[in-house]
Amino acid sequence: MFAFTVARRYLFSNPSQTALLIVGVALGVTAFVFITALIQGLAIRLTDDVTANSAHVSLEPVTRVARVLPSPDADVESVAIVSTFQRRQIRAWASTVELLRSQPSVAAISPQISGSAFLVKGEAVAPVAVTAIDPSGLDAISSISTEIISGDASLGADGILIGVRLAETLGLSAGQPVLFRTDRGVDRLLIVRGIFQTGLQSLDERVAYLSLQTARPLFLLPEGVTNIELKLTDPARARDFAAFLAEATGLRATSWQEKNASLEGALTAQAQTGTLIQIFSLISVLIGIASALSLSANRRRGEIGIMRAFGVSRRFIAGVFVLQGLLIGLVGAGIGCLSGFALCSWLATLIQPDGSMVLPIAPNEGGYIAVFVLTTLGAVLASVIPARSAARLDPLEAIQQ
Amino acid sequence: MSAVLEARGIAMTFRNGDELTNVLKGVDLALEPGELVALLGASGSGKSTLLSIVGLLLRPTAGTIAIAGERVEGLSEVERASFRNQRLGFIFQFHHLLPDFTATENVAFPAAAPAGGITAPMRRRARDLLARVGLSDRMDFPATRLSGGQKQRVAIARALMNKPELVLADEPTGSLDRVAAEQVLDLMREVNREDKATFLICTHDEHVAARCTRRVTLKDGLIDTEVV
Repeated sequence: MFAFTVARRYLFSNPSQTALLIVGVALGVTAFVFITALIQGLAIRLTDDVTANSAHVSLEPVTRVARVLPSPDADVESVAIVSTFQRRQIRAWASTVELLRSQPSVAAISPQISGSAFLVKGEAVAPVAVTAIDPSGLDAISSISTEIISGDASLGADGILIGVRLAETLGLSAGQPVLFRTDRGVDRLLIVRGIFQTGLQSLDERVAYLSLQTARPLFLLPEGVTNIELKLTDPARARDFAAFLAEATGLRATSWQEKNASLEGALTAQAQTGTLIQIFSLISVLIGIASALSLSANRRRGEIGIMRAFGVSRRFIAGVFVLQGLLIGLVGAGIGCLSGFALCSWLATLIQPDGSMVLPIAPNEGGYIAVFVLTTLGAVLASVIPARSAARLDPLEAIQQ
Repeated sequence: MSAVLEARGIAMTFRNGDELTNVLKGVDLALEPGELVALLGASGSGKSTLLSIVGLLLRPTAGTIAIAGERVEGLSEVERASFRNQRLGFIFQFHHLLPDFTATENVAFPAAAPAGGITAPMRRRARDLLARVGLSDRMDFPATRLSGGQKQRVAIARALMNKPELVLADEPTGSLDRVAAEQVLDLMREVNREDKATFLICTHDEHVAARCTRRVTLKDGLIDTEVV
């Protein structure tokens, strides 16, 4: 293709200018890759932090709302009485668990009894959020057994696991008894089997783990569970999966995104900010290409005029400039992607004294294909303006100048 | 034998705002095959405009043109470009060679661009033409390393690349020194004589006109005198 040969010659005729142009494109692409990898890395870290010790989807009984009853004899409507004697519970939890086990996207299932209670030690009283689970699924949602710093994770018939901050508040250590008092007024003496330290204040200060067997008489729930917590293979799909489960089970299914709406909002805002920066870096790259090619077209008016005079088509002239844009875009985007990946990979190796990354960057999430395609297409589009102006040049006017 | 060029009643009016300028007022001009014609006239007499019209770079306000028997005024822009490429040759005062190409590539360019590349026969013809204009030792030189006279000789070879029926030259020696100008004139006469190529040379230089076989002088937009 002769237009390609001409385009290549034009680019090589001024190597320093072409190199500068390609470096400019590569820098813009590197900035794009860095911003994308940083924002993705930040989102991954925040999502991991939030979902590491909590469920991706929670299933609970639907909230019962009192119905309005029409009254045929009176103008006044009355409200149905809803029994508060019956606890909100999932009675058919075993069949729900069976259904969940058949779903390949479910990584872990934890049927639970959740409730409120107090721990009493002498004069000291502390409120606790109780999570009663099957002892074999202790680590299904939060990794507790690996965080035990005193005692062990064995939940026997009368055992309880508490967090380190709660243990400090009550002056408890592993092996000591503690009085457990539920919000139903049931008391029982339990033994602190283990003390855990997750680093999350909400867990270490407020949460206590019991076995389901222990919790049933304490919370007056001989059969059911109050909630079923799930971990998914892909936390990002939690919202869709929750909608599916709500439909399939009739239970209220809540995704971690719904529980952390403010976090999702922050992530969206962060992604939008990143998109703006990406757009501006691409626009600056494209303006650079368009202006450089416009200057080139202007500098070569005489040559273009003579080509047009001896009958070279407008399409050929336009093709020469579009191909220049394509070549600059391809090479600049390629170099930019490589340098962006190298920069992000290096930044990912920088570790703080506590072992965490200096920048929460994800080198593999740099949006390489997107930026390569966008830059190359953009470079072609940016070259259309100078290409059209070159192709429309009046040969007579160009030659006479 | 039919005329290479037959222009009848060529008129050209330029509009500048409300002002109309009649540059050509009905010019009749015919060129026979193998002629070397000088188109003379003072500045503003319309000779460059007439050359541009005959070269299909400008559309006349009125008149008809036939080149090698083919009427050209009804051709579209694309057809005119193709016609220029295949049937006409151009030599301008400023050569406008492509600086990033060698002498051979510059000469082959008019044939290579529509064909999509320089083929071996094209390269052979380009080198033959360069040898013809006395540049055998400069064939692979970049255009930027040639002197002014050498560049104009490359431009002449380029004009002849597609074997045009009519070569149009606009002040071809205007930017050259006396020696280089003589060489270029000798070359055009030689090509005219040996190849029977028809030349229409626009010039204001009497010395150039004296080397041509016919002189046509324009005055006030009309042909004033013709001297054979």
